[in-house]
Amino acid sequence: MNIIYVLIPLSVVLMVLAIAFFFWAVRNDQFDDLDTPALDILDEDEPTDPPRSNGDAGKDECGH
Amino acid sequence: MTEAVRHEHGGCWHCGEPVPAGVDIRAEIDGQPRAMCCHGCQTVARLIDSAGLNRYYDFRDALPERPEQAAEASSRDFLAWDRPAVLDHYAHADCDRLYRLTLVLENVHCAACAWLIQRFVGALAGVAEIRVDVADGRAHVRFDPERCALSEIAARLAALGYRPHLDSPQAGVARNQTERRQMLKYIVVAGLGMMQVMSFALSNYIGAWQDIDQQTERFFHVISMIVAVPVALYAGQIFYKSAWRTLLQRRMGMDVPVAAAMLLALFSSIVITVLDAGEPYFDSVVMFIFFLLLGRYAVLVARQNAGQLQSALARSLPVQTRRLTDTGAEMVALIELASGDRVQVSAGETVPADGRIETGTVMVDESLLSGESIPRRRSAGERALAGSLVREGQMTLEIEELGQSTILSGIVRLLDQARTFKPRMARMADRLASWFVAFVLTGATVSGLVWWQIDPTMALPVVLAVLVVSCPCALALGTPVALAAAARGFARLGVLITRPDSLELLPNITHVVLDKTGTLTRPDMRMAEVRAAAGVDPDRARVLAGRLERVSRHPVATAFARYDDGAAVTAAEAVTAAGVAGTVDGVEYRLGKPGFVGEWLSAHPTEPGEGQWIALATRERLLAWFRVDSPLRDGAHELVAQLKARGLEVWLASGDRRENVEAVARSLAIDQVRSACSPAAKLDLVRELQASGARVAMVGDGINDAPVLAGADVALALAEGADIARTQADLVVTGKDLSRVSAAFALAPRVRRIVRQNLAWAFSYNITALPFAAAGFVPPWLAAIGMSASSLLVVMNGQRLGRVRGKRPKVPGAAPDPATPSPVGSGA
Repeated sequence: MNIIYVLIPLSVVLMVLAIAFFFWAVRNDQFDDLDTPALDILDEDEPTDPPRSNGDAGKDECGH
Repeated sequence: MTEAVRHEHGGCWHCGEPVPAGVDIRAEIDGQPRAMCCHGCQTVARLIDSAGLNRYYDFRDALPERPEQAAEASSRDFLAWDRPAVLDHYAHADCDRLYRLTLVLENVHCAACAWLIQRFVGALAGVAEIRVDVADGRAHVRFDPERCALSEIAARLAALGYRPHLDSPQAGVARNQTERRQMLKYIVVAGLGMMQVMSFALSNYIGAWQDIDQQTERFFHVISMIVAVPVALYAGQIFYKSAWRTLLQRRMGMDVPVAAAMLLALFSSIVITVLDAGEPYFDSVVMFIFFLLLGRYAVLVARQNAGQLQSALARSLPVQTRRLTDTGAEMVALIELASGDRVQVSAGETVPADGRIETGTVMVDESLLSGESIPRRRSAGERALAGSLVREGQMTLEIEELGQSTILSGIVRLLDQARTFKPRMARMADRLASWFVAFVLTGATVSGLVWWQIDPTMALPVVLAVLVVSCPCALALGTPVALAAAARGFARLGVLITRPDSLELLPNITHVVLDKTGTLTRPDMRMAEVRAAAGVDPDRARVLAGRLERVSRHPVATAFARYDDGAAVTAAEAVTAAGVAGTVDGVEYRLGKPGFVGEWLSAHPTEPGEGQWIALATRERLLAWFRVDSPLRDGAHELVAQLKARGLEVWLASGDRRENVEAVARSLAIDQVRSACSPAAKLDLVRELQASGARVAMVGDGINDAPVLAGADVALALAEGADIARTQADLVVTGKDLSRVSAAFALAPRVRRIVRQNLAWAFSYNITALPFAAAGFVPPWLAAIGMSASSLLVVMNGQRLGRVRGKRPKVPGAAPDPATPSPVGSGA
């Protein structure tokens, strides 16, 4: 049973990682639009949208 | 589903409305000719097809509104938006010279709308990004004004039927986003933390049956504490902060007992763990926080989607206006206007500000302000009010009051005042909860003191058992969980809840006051009957009338618009308060009031029956009579019948003329009628009824109803109407179908029943368990299980409200569809 002393702290570390990942996702606008991305996959054409969010997030901070 | 809806009644390919008789308009979509109901739809459909975006028709899961005059949308309509003053005021520039701007869009229904907008507008050179928030109908644009004018973007949106409005550059949107993101973080932290802590707790509960060794048990306690303490401190912040704020104001807020229970349980659990004195309750604390957060999130989203006051105001005012200067006329945006400016307003335009008419005589529709549906004549020297629509004529207006000082914004402010008169159910619930907390604390102290005398080692376990077993978790959870689930259930029926309290009040309602225009009846008019003269084809007469009425902006013209086949009319003219005249294929026609048409004929024509009749004639003879009326909405009869069957007293109050109101009341069998009511008179009626002990629900629509909505015990608004009502109403009914109002009345008693079950359970459980715990019969770990089970039971009971049986809302904006079962039948 001694293995739980390793595994359980490990699960806590994993939880912290999951939370960190989620926070990163929220900060990068991943949860702002929950409606349209579902449709993108149905689109056979080349994406015409300019690249969104991630690249732009950096730009936001300049000047403001 | 969309395909099914559209093909079942063979309606318009674009909007799904039935194609009227005598209309044959088609548009090629993806190489297939598709039936269209009007030229507006045809234009939009062709536009979508020519942009190669016809996959929109596969993606969408809601049908759009029938576009109005979309064909006419051009960048000219929004020219004033290109002026530097607009960009300065509404947009702000990025470092790479791109401007950011938020637009409020009309008619955004579903994700496919957002997709369509992104493709169609995003394809413009100079538009770096456009993102549409489906929930609140806002579009966030980033663009380069030098490469793509704002008017161009606006015209494209309008051409698709999503008419844009400038959104006030408030911090509101950004704040909403931050708030929502913060909430999401709390929820995920609490959720993940809950799962972890629960698994540790479960190991101990099971371990208790299987002789877990002391060391392992202790390990689980410590690790629970390591996880739960930061989680509870982080995720529970909003409760602690809100409780602290209310305490500073010397009030007992809703969050005070909640925060007290959380912190107390957390603190005692820490003490227990450190002293190794028994079972801690970390799992309960974190679960408690998680479920409360879920409820708060639902409330937050509902509140944000209800829309903002400012944008509602913006929607009622025009996009631009024609200012007269010494050098001529120029189109300016409203923010550029100043008191004393002279503006010119023509037929079909909205008055931008309050002012005095200098020259010209106009017919203005003030239904937004007074509820009066018939346009009034206003001439030089009289006042014209912001938000009213010029139906006929042209005028020069000298501006007196602007923006916040107009009558329109006065009405908006009136709402806020009326709202403070509302009874506050929440206050009572709070008082109950704080009494209960006081009771539990006293109980714990007393039993602790008693046990101190008997057996000091038992004192702490007993105090904790008392605290935990009677932790008002289930009590505090019972109502919010049920209300959050009910909000989901109602949303499925097409009813949005903006004030959860109203669900408790709705079953107690004794009187229902219904508004007429725009609530019981549709906002547009309909041709009810055609009587063609001998030898005249009625379909031909309708199409002819449709063409002639094209020039008119009078509400009556809406009845004919759908028969217009677009053929040329020459010498078309709208004659104020009389009718229209025009020449089709070389023949002169007149269409309008009998007196106007009769000027041509030897014998003055007499109307063939009751109601509002419009005559069509050539110079030689009368061709046809048309009877027009405002059709009742679907479900109006059922609504009144159902309300009466519930034993409620139904009133009809309207700003409209007496004969119109009484005709509607007769057809719906409503006995109590008030006609020609100003908004203030309607509010008086509600107050009068309330003074005689009645609890009044108001069903309304439009800005003019807003004060009444705020004054009633429960307010229901139809979302089709002006947005302002949406912010003030407790329940917002989406779509065009009144049966949803009936459904709300049917579901509300269930909500109250489940809330009461929850409270009764939580209360009786706590009261029963308390003596046992105080007597020392309940070890803390059993108390924790009991409390968790009790909370879980309450949560699951509440969830039942989210599952509304077998009811799928009709697609918003869809035409009456007999194949979809009405929610009334199954909801009762």
